[in-house]
Amino acid sequence: MSEARPAPERAVPAGRRRLPDPGDNALVRGVGRLPAKVHTKLLIAFVGTAALVVAVGLLGLRVLGQSDDRVGRLGTLQERALAYGKLESDTRHIRLLLVENPGPDFFNVNPGIIPIGRGKSDVAIDQAVRNALVRIGPATRVERLGFVPPPEDRLVLRHIRAKSERLSTVIDQIIDSADRGASDEEQNPFRNQAHRLATDLYQLAAELAGTTTATTEDVIAQNADSYASQRNLFIGVAAGAIALALLLGLVLSWSVIGPIQRVDSRLAAIASGDFTGHVDVSNRDELGALAANVNRMNDELDRLYRELETASKHKSEFLASMSHELRTPLNAIIGFSQVLRERMFGELNEKQEEYLDDILASAHHLLSLINDVLDLSKVEAGQVELEVTPFSLREALESGIVTVRERATTEGVHVELSADPEIDLVEGDERRIRQVIFNLLSNAVKFTPPGGAVEVSATRLNGEVRISVSDTGPGVALEDRERIFEEFQQTEVGIGLREGTGLGLALSKRFVELHGGQIWVDSELGKGSTFVFTLPARPP
Amino acid sequence: MAGAQILIVEDNEKSMKLFRDVLTATGYRTLEATTGSQAFELAVEHGPDLVLMDVQLPDVDGVEALRRMRADERTTSLPVLAVTAQAMHGDRERFLAAGFDGYLPKPVDVLQLLETVRRHCDDPAL
Repeated sequence: MSEARPAPERAVPAGRRRLPDPGDNALVRGVGRLPAKVHTKLLIAFVGTAALVVAVGLLGLRVLGQSDDRVGRLGTLQERALAYGKLESDTRHIRLLLVENPGPDFFNVNPGIIPIGRGKSDVAIDQAVRNALVRIGPATRVERLGFVPPPEDRLVLRHIRAKSERLSTVIDQIIDSADRGASDEEQNPFRNQAHRLATDLYQLAAELAGTTTATTEDVIAQNADSYASQRNLFIGVAAGAIALALLLGLVLSWSVIGPIQRVDSRLAAIASGDFTGHVDVSNRDELGALAANVNRMNDELDRLYRELETASKHKSEFLASMSHELRTPLNAIIGFSQVLRERMFGELNEKQEEYLDDILASAHHLLSLINDVLDLSKVEAGQVELEVTPFSLREALESGIVTVRERATTEGVHVELSADPEIDLVEGDERRIRQVIFNLLSNAVKFTPPGGAVEVSATRLNGEVRISVSDTGPGVALEDRERIFEEFQQTEVGIGLREGTGLGLALSKRFVELHGGQIWVDSELGKGSTFVFTLPARPP
Repeated sequence: MAGAQILIVEDNEKSMKLFRDVLTATGYRTLEATTGSQAFELAVEHGPDLVLMDVQLPDVDGVEALRRMRADERTTSLPVLAVTAQAMHGDRERFLAAGFDGYLPKPVDVLQLLETVRRHCDDPAL
């Protein structure tokens, strides 16, 4: 019995064994179990990744926008601080001129109470105060500032303007009274009022500038804080998005690759004849369907294989039974005929002897038919396994000749062997090769007319052994040269001889081909035939 | 050794008749069994000189009957030939490996049968 396939136990080659599967975890299986097509899952993954990129981009834009806002606010604040600084400086100037001693070098007036009169230095102070007051006026008007001050600033600015207008009026009164030549006692209330107003003005302006500077510093500190936290947020979100996208990609790809690998290793096992397993894929997508189909194919192949095995077993059993059942009656037919033919129970007349010979010949013919049919069935079923051993080809040829010699001698056919001296040991199934040699030899003797010759030769050609059996028989017509190697096909002459099973050449061809050799016939009608078969140096 | 006793184990009537007639005509005494267990009983009881054992039998087959004979000290060294229609390639080796002393495929050549029987009975050393 030839075993057509390897046993299932060793079906999975070692190299194919699965590595630890990184894709075999709950998350990956969960993604696989989602009842959506792979196409949809891929689309979702790509859209998700794109959305993450967009989200990170939008967050970046927002951070940039906030930063820009802060720069703008800071710019406005600095503008305010500058404007209020000027205001403070002007008011300080006025206070210096009116209240404190500016020093002899500054205004060239006497120390002590500032005398505002019609003198040269009086005019200078008077003019300097007026100049400063003229600058304060527009600097307190919202529409002239170039920025929009907050409401609390506007209130203070209004106070400053009111006080500066009052101071301007008081200065006018002082100058008038000085022009009239009023006494110090008369002028003092005005002067005191001017001092108070100048001090108030300065305090208001200083407060305004101070508040604004403090606010600016606050905003700068806030900016630094805000920048740090925004930056951290952005880095965090970007890193999170990258991690999420990678996770998404990995999980999805493993939910695809894992099942493909499992299906692949199952298919490899099936290809080597192992139908014992099922591929375990829990996906509810195309891959799940693929795995289910592979499992179905596996089961179907398994079923078919079992059926084939059963059929093959039945065929073997049938052949064995048929052989047994046909031989049993033949045993009686041949046995009793032989008993009579050997005259164990009395004499025979000529006719009886002749008929017994006919019975025996027919029974033996039937026996060879049975043997040949069984052999052929086994070859057809692939159940013939060659027993290849080195054997002596010379001995096989000689023994074949011995087998046919009796008949050859009776029929006056000369049989000759001419094998190359170096031909002795060859590799092959000795029993089968002997059968082929015998078939060819008995055919040759059978078809050679009295006085003819059969020549057997063996030569080695490029390592290949070539055995030929030539006869001087009627030859084989060109159109028959292929056909005679088929079952139950004989030449006209062969049919006329009413001998042979019509299976000998068919069997010989099968046996030679099982060895990896070839068999053919060269012939010339009326002159003879040469049947040749080859045996490769190393049969399979 | 003329008059040697031969146990024929055969379930086919015609074959039995053939073997019996051929052997008695040649001068042997015969014992007949048609089943494996009967074969064992007769072998133990009579201790024949040779057993011709068919293999396919109605109850226990010839191989099992041989095993029982070999296991029993009274019959353990009896020469037993397999005479069987199981004659496919490899059967001869199978039966010789099972412990049979010879193998005759059916259809049996009567002359070859007589020759084999003669060899075993005349020279038990064979």
